[in-house]
Amino acid sequence: MLFRNVFKITVLCVLCIVGLGCNGKKQQAQNGATDFPREKTIYLGGDQWGEPNTFNPLCDWPAWPVHGKTDLLYEPLMVFNSLTGDMEPLLAHSLEKTPDVISVILNSRAKWSDGVPLTAEDVVFSYEIGKNYKNAPMNYAAVVDFVSDVTVEKVPDPLTGGKTQAEKIHFVVNKKARNNPLIVLDQLQDVRILPKHSIEPMLQKLNNDFTAFQKEKLDKDPVVSGPYNLDSYSSEKIVLKRRDDYWGNVALRGNRKPAPEYFIHPIYKSNDHFSVALQQGNLDVSMTYIPRIWMKAKDNVGTWYKRAPYFVPGCMPLMLINFTRYPLSDKNFRLAMASAINYTEIKDLAISGYTPEIKPGLIMPYGIEKKFFSDEDAQKYGAHFDTVAAKRLLREAGFKSIFDKDGNLVQMTDAKGKKVPTLLITSPAGWSDWEAMVKIAVKDMRAVGIDIREGFVDASLYWQALPFGKFDLLMYKPLPEATPSKPWSQLDHIMSSRNWKPEGERMNENQGRYNNPKGKNYNRAVDSLLLAIPHIMDDAELIKAYRALNVIFMQDQPALPLAYLPEQFYEFSTKHWTNWATEDNPYAPPQPPFYAAGIKMLWELKRAK
Amino acid sequence: MFRNHPTARYILTRGGWYFLTFLVAVTINFFLPRLGPSNPVDIILAKAGGVSDNATRQKEESYLKEFGLAEVDKSGNVLRDAKDAPVRTSAWKQFGNYIFMSLKGDLGTSFMSYPKKVTEIIKTAVPWTIALQLPAILLAWIVGNVLGALAAYRRGIFDKVFFPLALGANSIPFFAFGMLLVYLLGILWPIFPAVGGYDGGLNPSFSLIFFGSVMYHYILPFMSLFIIFTGGQAIGMRSMCIYELGTDYVKYAKWLGISESKVLFYMFRNAMLPQLTGLALSLGVMIGGALITEMIFSYPGIGMAVLSAIQNNDYPLIQGCTLLITVSVLIANFTVDILIGFLDPRVKAGRGVK
Repeated sequence: MLFRNVFKITVLCVLCIVGLGCNGKKQQAQNGATDFPREKTIYLGGDQWGEPNTFNPLCDWPAWPVHGKTDLLYEPLMVFNSLTGDMEPLLAHSLEKTPDVISVILNSRAKWSDGVPLTAEDVVFSYEIGKNYKNAPMNYAAVVDFVSDVTVEKVPDPLTGGKTQAEKIHFVVNKKARNNPLIVLDQLQDVRILPKHSIEPMLQKLNNDFTAFQKEKLDKDPVVSGPYNLDSYSSEKIVLKRRDDYWGNVALRGNRKPAPEYFIHPIYKSNDHFSVALQQGNLDVSMTYIPRIWMKAKDNVGTWYKRAPYFVPGCMPLMLINFTRYPLSDKNFRLAMASAINYTEIKDLAISGYTPEIKPGLIMPYGIEKKFFSDEDAQKYGAHFDTVAAKRLLREAGFKSIFDKDGNLVQMTDAKGKKVPTLLITSPAGWSDWEAMVKIAVKDMRAVGIDIREGFVDASLYWQALPFGKFDLLMYKPLPEATPSKPWSQLDHIMSSRNWKPEGERMNENQGRYNNPKGKNYNRAVDSLLLAIPHIMDDAELIKAYRALNVIFMQDQPALPLAYLPEQFYEFSTKHWTNWATEDNPYAPPQPPFYAAGIKMLWELKRAK
Repeated sequence: MFRNHPTARYILTRGGWYFLTFLVAVTINFFLPRLGPSNPVDIILAKAGGVSDNATRQKEESYLKEFGLAEVDKSGNVLRDAKDAPVRTSAWKQFGNYIFMSLKGDLGTSFMSYPKKVTEIIKTAVPWTIALQLPAILLAWIVGNVLGALAAYRRGIFDKVFFPLALGANSIPFFAFGMLLVYLLGILWPIFPAVGGYDGGLNPSFSLIFFGSVMYHYILPFMSLFIIFTGGQAIGMRSMCIYELGTDYVKYAKWLGISESKVLFYMFRNAMLPQLTGLALSLGVMIGGALITEMIFSYPGIGMAVLSAIQNNDYPLIQGCTLLITVSVLIANFTVDILIGFLDPRVKAGRGVK
């Protein structure tokens, strides 16, 4: 009897679970009850992975929306529009730049959420965090190397026609350190202005122990200046609520409020869920890689362009080449590699065609970099996909490849008859678009006789290999973000020998160890061009300098660019919100509506009917 | 001492062995992640990014110090060797610190989710994992065993239909089955939600609506586990029972004309013993096995934390999670060991209980 009862109870339990579940659905449908009404809420995906750790802007990697270039809680002085190349006003306006000083005027209407005015004191405080405290996050710590002094001056406010006073802030370029006004421009967007009157007392309470302060989560009603503030969070989502007294509504946006009252970032555990949720309209905007996006157009999913390449190119995934290893140190060998790869195949098969045609060099022939790109140079010096040329280059350099009777590469020997060791392309395992690019590149290079293989490793080993140069070739996406310092920063990041160190020691840029300043082939022109460009104010001169640098890149091939990808994937659903910025309606750059200059989209979105 | 209390002696010796196993497991769990060549602080620095070499160096020292991975001098500065590399704290010294802190109940701060405490991460995630897996495993175990026994006893049409079904369920990997469920019932005919543990527009609270939403989101992940487990258990039980049916005691009981359900019960009891061990094992791997279900359904739980901890060499979180897995495996096995001690006459006889 007991036995029967246990079974009956069990079956009842299972039925109960199913029954309760279905009932839960009915209940919710009947009441339509959620804590955040759908018509007032925007759902965003893809900028927060894993559970939120902290909302302290002085931590190294706080959770969304405090990290990166998010303008929702803490705001920078200006934001960069990746479409126009302009710095747009946020906390400050009226940008003036010379090689020595960068100046802005602070918006005198800016206010903190507790009603305290946001003044130049907050700006100076934020810019000096790196100087005053050890172990500040990188964007604050790096200020010291580029800005030697921040001075404030009272000027007539141009916004009120000079009737009132405003604070003009001068950022003096640090001539003794890096002497680079371009990065000072970057920092206008990178350094979030923090409330001195709220953060300084907290630090003092902790005896100015910065590491102790970094353990504060600042998740309870923080003092912010942005249009939203933290409402609640869990390991499943982060919820922001609109601040109706946001200063910028009146000062910047024509006395309007952002359309969505709630801003929710659900935290999913795999890429596919973002794609499904976007398709079902449960997500309004996503920043994840979704293959074959054109198949989702029927489900109201849109992108910047309606047709290929769907996204605006903004960064360049490439393979770094280790110059300290043989035969990669051989120029002909590198050029042969660049000529062996079928870039069209990479574009079509690895990244769903989300890239326009790639041209040789490290400057993009599109967007704001276009004016620095020369098609003539690319034709003359650049390596294009050409297997005959690749084989010829290898032959001329004395390399011989032995194939078996099925045409598979057996081994490769160099001019001295010695076997060339099999090269590996280090790439994180499981990053599917990179894996696909690597596989195609390997297939193509082996076909012309280069003995190379895929080296998929754990992400932890990848991050270790990168700074210490422990790789033959390595997949990398340098500086994906759109900034005013591009394309200089990209060229600098790949080619600068400022901190050249041998393999095994940390390098934060040029991890391929190109152009050893102590080597016999040292090309002084590279470093002097990299030093000169940030100070050139004349466009014609600038174009000349960039062309010269790009030609050196094409001749030396210090890395192998594979495709162009967008700065951020920007995909939206028109099921609940419409009027997204697109190619036909480019009122904002192709960035999600919280990121850099994309934030202004929040005031223009319309509820779908 | 326990000569006159064989049961107590049995429990104590078993307990002793389990404690020893526990110590060995904790030691291995501590040293294994540290054997690899990669180093968590390098991953952190890569994540922090940056253009300033001074700042990078400062940050490296600060994290090494904070996580107790480098030796410091009296004034709190990180010691550096001749090659200017920080002097690493030896693994044994770290082990000492870890044991000392664990005994105080402090599992440390996660490297990757800095400054979150490991206990905090585990505390919010584990209830979801247990709430999903425990009912699924237990209910599937009971239903599967009963159906398996019935199939073996009744044979005929019931068995002919049921056995292939169970075999089919058992041979589908449960991640594939989960994906199939999501695709069919979540996307193609969206009857059930495909994603999450509760509606995205709700915050956790003690309300009927929230509870209803949780139950609604529970069905697909629950079914993906329940159906597969049931199939597996039923197949095991069916063959055990067929074996038992051929034994003398069953034949004898049948000749005596004992009622069908009574015979079934006798047989069930004996056939169940290996199944019980199986249950202990599946309860034990519950936490480790949660990952796939979580990834398929984006369901809250500890599995994802374990995965990213391992990928990022987040030592404290790896230690915290493996400690949890170790403890749950051992407790489940210990409980079953004790239960078998009472249920299995052979074990009883072995320790001299009449």
